[in-house]
Amino acid sequence: MEMISFLNFYLIPGIVIGSIYALGAIGLTLIFSIMRHAHLAHGDMAALGAFLALAGITTIGLPAYAALPLAVIATGLIAIGIDKLFYSHLRTRPKILTTISTLGIALMIRSVVQIVWGVDTRLYSNGISRPQNWFGLKIKAVEMYTLSAVVLFVVALVLFLTKSKWGKAMRAMSDNRNLALLSGVDNNKVVALTWLISGGLCAASGYFLGMNTELKSMMGWNILLPTFAAAILGGVGKIEGAVAGGLIIGIVEELSVMVIPSEYKALSAFAILLLVLLVRPRGLFKGKIL
Amino acid sequence: MSAILAMTQLRGGYSETDILHGVSIEVAAHEIVAIVGPNGAGKSTAMKAIFGLLNVRAGSVVANGVDITGWSPNRIVQAGVSYVPQVDNIFGEMTVHENLEMGAFLRKGDFSASADRVYQLFPDLKAKRKTLAGSLSGGQRQMVAMGRALMLDPKILLLDEPTAGLSPKYMEQIFQISRDVRDSGVAILLVEQHAKQALAFADRGYVLAAGGNRHHGTGRELLADRAVAEMFLGG
Repeated sequence: MEMISFLNFYLIPGIVIGSIYALGAIGLTLIFSIMRHAHLAHGDMAALGAFLALAGITTIGLPAYAALPLAVIATGLIAIGIDKLFYSHLRTRPKILTTISTLGIALMIRSVVQIVWGVDTRLYSNGISRPQNWFGLKIKAVEMYTLSAVVLFVVALVLFLTKSKWGKAMRAMSDNRNLALLSGVDNNKVVALTWLISGGLCAASGYFLGMNTELKSMMGWNILLPTFAAAILGGVGKIEGAVAGGLIIGIVEELSVMVIPSEYKALSAFAILLLVLLVRPRGLFKGKIL
Repeated sequence: MSAILAMTQLRGGYSETDILHGVSIEVAAHEIVAIVGPNGAGKSTAMKAIFGLLNVRAGSVVANGVDITGWSPNRIVQAGVSYVPQVDNIFGEMTVHENLEMGAFLRKGDFSASADRVYQLFPDLKAKRKTLAGSLSGGQRQMVAMGRALMLDPKILLLDEPTAGLSPKYMEQIFQISRDVRDSGVAILLVEQHAKQALAFADRGYVLAAGGNRHHGTGRELLADRAVAEMFLGG
């Protein structure tokens, strides 16, 4: 195979889907490192964000790019609400209870999406987006838009976590919970902030998945496994790990089509997940032990 | 000298049963006071009682003339009492400077003067301010832990077994760090497993046993006391 077709048919699509996984994986890794439970509703929350953006476009008549911030903020606030309504009552109980209840929330969110928007496939806009040719590299405008937005999200988040007072409080809570509490950090505020950011990133990942493919009520559930694999591959608690993990999973999934039928793409994420847990359970960037 | 911290006839425990049966401890400004005693004497419990981590049933804790009995740790910190836990007392994945910033979390406004004071006290840390605290040596980590606790400009620092599990070389280093902190104007109350070394280094000491006061005096007096010596030579 020629280099250029490798880049066009495998690497670029892999990077695009990988950066979408990365957005989700960052949220998962933040939730785990601060609240210490898995979040199985992550995919369905991404689907909710994608459909909220669709509502912004079709009902309010917003342009597609303006629907993104709307969906990000709305989903972030919904995530805080779900936490207050459900998970906050389980805070002092064993974390497995919260993890299981996130599965229940996942089913509830999916049902709401199916009731409100139906089960049919939807699109943000009709028509085919033709790729532009950059010296042989074929990149669609929507792919450029996705990649640059993901970079912006990641840079903004890293700046927030390293420069701002509350970002540092989040890192402190993830690093040494008791000492953070002893230093006067308000746990409830950190938890709310974590849900706001993770929920917002979920919506962004769903939105970009919808932009690059299509909207379905099951779209979120379908990306849950690769998103988890990305977070664990990178090392739980590590933002840079989640980004690297997402990109690797995305690229490997696309490459796997060369050897296995494309219906089984998800297998490669599963295989990587198992392999990491067996060989290097703390992931590439030495994250927390699960 | 008036007491910076006075714990009077304190009774309490973690749950229903009392572990402390009327313990009294006083710390004056500019002194290092050590609490020693055999295992299960209630040393660490006494310290936790000061810091609001215990159910207090009787007695009082007064810091800087304010009764802080039953206060939450958050408020106690603001009353000028800082606590350095025995283990996990730094943010290992954050830089030295970020550790100090977290120490000043409850402060509003500029805290660079406090940070400068910590760096003056521990010049080693200044050179490593951008290093991850988790990658430092044991002695330097203890400096970070104390530095974090000093960021709210406390009048007294509570150290829970600062030398536990450390080699004699590090122990001496930590005692020296504590003297430096005292000389900078912050009193220190520490709980120690290594009774002899602690009494030799502290200005005054309290020997607790079975949840009550047994002996107190200057470190030298206690070391010379036969009753105290017997208590520790046995175990």
